[in-house]
Amino acid sequence: MTMVQTTPSAQAAPSEGVLTRISDTLWRRPTLLLLILLTPPALWLGIIYLGSLFALLLQSFFSIDHFTGLINHEFTLATYAELFTPANFDIIRRTVGMAALVTVASAVIAFPIAYYAARYAKGAWRALFYLGIMMPLWSSYLVKVYAWKLILAKEGILTWIFEGLHLTWLLDAYLALPVIGGNSLSVSPTGTFLVFVYVWLPYMVLPIQAALERVPTSMLEASGDLGAKPAQTFRHVLLPLALPGVIAGSIFTFSLTLGDYIIPQIIGTSRLFIGQAVYQHQGIAGNIPLAAAFAVVPIVIMGVYLWTAKRMGAFDAL
Amino acid sequence: MTNRFITAAVSAITAASLATSAVAQMTEIGEGEGALSIVAWAGYIERGETDAAFDWVTKFEEATSCKVSVKTANTSDEMVALMNEGGFDLVTASGDASLRMIAGKRVQPINVGLIPSWSTVDDRLKEAPWHYVNGEHYGTPYMWGPNVLMYNTEAFPEAPTSWNVVFEETTLADGSSNKGRVQAYDGPIHIADAANYLMAHQPELGITDPYELTAEQYAAALDLLRGQRELVSRYWHDAFIQIDDFKNEGMVASGSWPFQVNLLQADGVPVASVIPEEGATGWADTTMLHAEAEHPNCAYMWMEHTLSSNLQSDLSVWFGAVPSVPAACSDGSGMQTQEGCDANGLAQFDKIKFWKTPVANCESQDECVPYYRWVSDYIGVIGGR
Amino acid sequence: MPAVSFDHVSRHFGAVKAVDDVILDIAEGEFFAMLGPSGSGKTTCLRLIAGFERPTGGDIRIFGEPVADLPPYKRQVNTVFQDYALFPHLNVRDNVAYGLMIAGRGKRERHAEAEAALEMVRLGGYGSRKPSELSGGQRQRVALARALVNKPRVLLLDEPLGALDLKLREQMQEELKTLQRQLGITFVFVTHDQGEALSMADRVAVFNEGKIIQVGSPEDIYFRPEVPFVADFVGSSNVLPEALVARLTGETCPAAIRPERLRLASEGPLKARVTGLSFLGLSTRVSFEAEGTRLTALLPQDVARPREGDEVALSWAAEDLHLMRAGQRAGA
Repeated sequence: MTMVQTTPSAQAAPSEGVLTRISDTLWRRPTLLLLILLTPPALWLGIIYLGSLFALLLQSFFSIDHFTGLINHEFTLATYAELFTPANFDIIRRTVGMAALVTVASAVIAFPIAYYAARYAKGAWRALFYLGIMMPLWSSYLVKVYAWKLILAKEGILTWIFEGLHLTWLLDAYLALPVIGGNSLSVSPTGTFLVFVYVWLPYMVLPIQAALERVPTSMLEASGDLGAKPAQTFRHVLLPLALPGVIAGSIFTFSLTLGDYIIPQIIGTSRLFIGQAVYQHQGIAGNIPLAAAFAVVPIVIMGVYLWTAKRMGAFDAL
Repeated sequence: MTNRFITAAVSAITAASLATSAVAQMTEIGEGEGALSIVAWAGYIERGETDAAFDWVTKFEEATSCKVSVKTANTSDEMVALMNEGGFDLVTASGDASLRMIAGKRVQPINVGLIPSWSTVDDRLKEAPWHYVNGEHYGTPYMWGPNVLMYNTEAFPEAPTSWNVVFEETTLADGSSNKGRVQAYDGPIHIADAANYLMAHQPELGITDPYELTAEQYAAALDLLRGQRELVSRYWHDAFIQIDDFKNEGMVASGSWPFQVNLLQADGVPVASVIPEEGATGWADTTMLHAEAEHPNCAYMWMEHTLSSNLQSDLSVWFGAVPSVPAACSDGSGMQTQEGCDANGLAQFDKIKFWKTPVANCESQDECVPYYRWVSDYIGVIGGR
Repeated sequence: MPAVSFDHVSRHFGAVKAVDDVILDIAEGEFFAMLGPSGSGKTTCLRLIAGFERPTGGDIRIFGEPVADLPPYKRQVNTVFQDYALFPHLNVRDNVAYGLMIAGRGKRERHAEAEAALEMVRLGGYGSRKPSELSGGQRQRVALARALVNKPRVLLLDEPLGALDLKLREQMQEELKTLQRQLGITFVFVTHDQGEALSMADRVAVFNEGKIIQVGSPEDIYFRPEVPFVADFVGSSNVLPEALVARLTGETCPAAIRPERLRLASEGPLKARVTGLSFLGLSTRVSFEAEGTRLTALLPQDVARPREGDEVALSWAAEDLHLMRAGQRAGA
């Protein structure tokens, strides 16, 4: 474009304009065109994306002087070894466990919703459904989390509802449980779990719905026609065909939970999650090597997860 | 390839640190450079935007033409990280950050002779160990305050006299246990609060300074904190989340800052604060000059301004803290009064152990547990280890 | 006992009467075709037999057993779907063995039976492929094998050849017919292609607007349409309106005459103008307009062709003019 603007005389040439000649050349050499089209995004991907990932990886092989907080730029595996100290390994285990639970719960809740949306919702209902699913994504994430803090608080809405139903004993009995309980829902692992599921659910519903919409009705009819009860049809046909969607959704919910540092800071027991550890070590303590090593953990876990999913045939229906 | 990069990076860093150590302190203040960038706690540098009554920047900018820009930090560790990154002139560092920056050569010694109001600083702060190292001053005292025990006056009809209400399970005056109703600070420096408590209750440990702990003393402090973990549902990290927890989570006692106490009282929540008999830890902040400050003249002018203007008086009201210039309590330079200063902790100066960074080669013992262990162990304690 | 019987069966979707008061018996071992334009109710009838739809009125029986309350998985019928509906995540063998797996048969046994079924449709050795690796005709045969391996008493085929090209379609027509003779089970076949219905079926039901217009052998349907709709849809016969027939024969009813039976003559009962010609190879199709009625004739190549715009006369043998009843529906 700029070329044309800066060389008006060439453009004005009577028979063969510059633009025409460029077009002709590109038509004769399609690889040249491809090169021109692909170079900018390839550079973007290579430098900005992979480059920063590589820089992160590099950082994780450095270490920090614990008193001055300055980074010692010599290759060492000590930072990775630090990940396996009991306190840090707890963080990894806690985060992965939570991410797995959140993913399973999201999938279980999202599947029927997505199924309904894909198969039965029509017209205005469909629009309403999309609105309902998408609306939580539009409002501020922080507002939602603080709202949940008020819902789950000891003197919050949920306690009030349980009181109204004369079920306080039930809530108390639940909160008295070890590991998942706590002084109130807002300071219990259950609270963290609930908010995670709420916040990430749309990311599970939408891909599952997209996958289910691609399953022709005839496929389900064929299964029933061949003698399968609905539960068998679900197990042998619907689930395998929706699995790429479930996996796509689980990539979202799993990795988002692995990386989140806001929710566990506001709701929960103050025990750290990987995202918080990264945030604290990088943003607060300036321990970039350890932060980088922590940041590599979700990458490795997601890699292993995807590889396992592929091995188990989760993408066969694609 | 990678190796060569690392070598290059290493030599660059080495060169940089050599260069900084070569910087000598200034001998005279020249013309202002027109700009000044400060890393500060939230609410520390006010220009009347939050509340028109609280402004200690505008007049400085008018008088010196140094345009002030502020980067707020939320924790000491974050301040250290920002100063390590560079690009700032000044930082309002607490004692648990200042020594680290001095050791890391991120800040430079200052010439107090260039600051006319230096003489007005509280004598007890002039050579405080968190900014006075090897006979050099590394900044001007800014503001200080105690970490008070905040309590709910309905649960405690009478003010608690000991920190035991947040460290040990007890039955409170309202007949219920304190379990799940108390909070603690979500930072490794809280280990010093535990050590301070043990200093009074387990004298046989021989703790003389809560920031200088032998392995045995340190282990005892961690044990106390593990017991506290059973009582604490959520540690506080953000002042506003603590305020919300006192409103909605039924919290009745916690170490806190006057800031939260004032805001909760303003909201009509029945809370009050006290410094119990064991004394308390406290924070004392110092305005420190970056080793590679781009605007040193403006920085010196600002340090003088912090001591001589309405800043000390008004900031102490705004933040619920105590001025480093005692005269600011009563000289009418701002809104502060002597009663206000006393309420914010001035009268209890001697009972306060100020934050400083724990180091391995400490003064009172042969060898102390250094800060990096505090960081990782406190994460472990909160994690249930 | 009929294999399938419809007794006043209706299926209404709101105001739309997809199937309206259908009465029908399909005999055991019969190759039965349901023929009609799209939206005529033939596919809905098939789905009613399979159990994918439930009737809003009437009674359906399969081998005498009322099936209105039986879900598809409890019916002894299997379906070959229009889009084949092969499971993309399973290979061909597992697709064919699906029904056997559901029935709880052992792996070895069901794989052996699946292979045998694949042999039957001449796809032996294709078991390990994915459906996506097969051609349209091969998928069609896998779908057939998958249905037949369950040994249904009635096989339902929903436009099974619709997606195939002409040559393959003709070949498959032959194969299906041979297979049905071999197996001796009842085939119910839905199609909108009259040629396909006539060439394959023992009997044909012509559907229109949710109703059966005429049921009969292909010859009946082709040569003896009872109403103008059948004549027009099935054989592209020329339909002569009542008024014209009355003038020509004195009968007050519509009549049909097949294009190949119309002849050009210098003198004839009907004057017509040539409006178009098209060359078809063995014959030439000529379009006419005569007294406001559009007619077509197929002329052998050895007859002199008229030119467009020529005024000609048309004649026919008296027995070729087939008199029909007025109205839409055939009386049984």
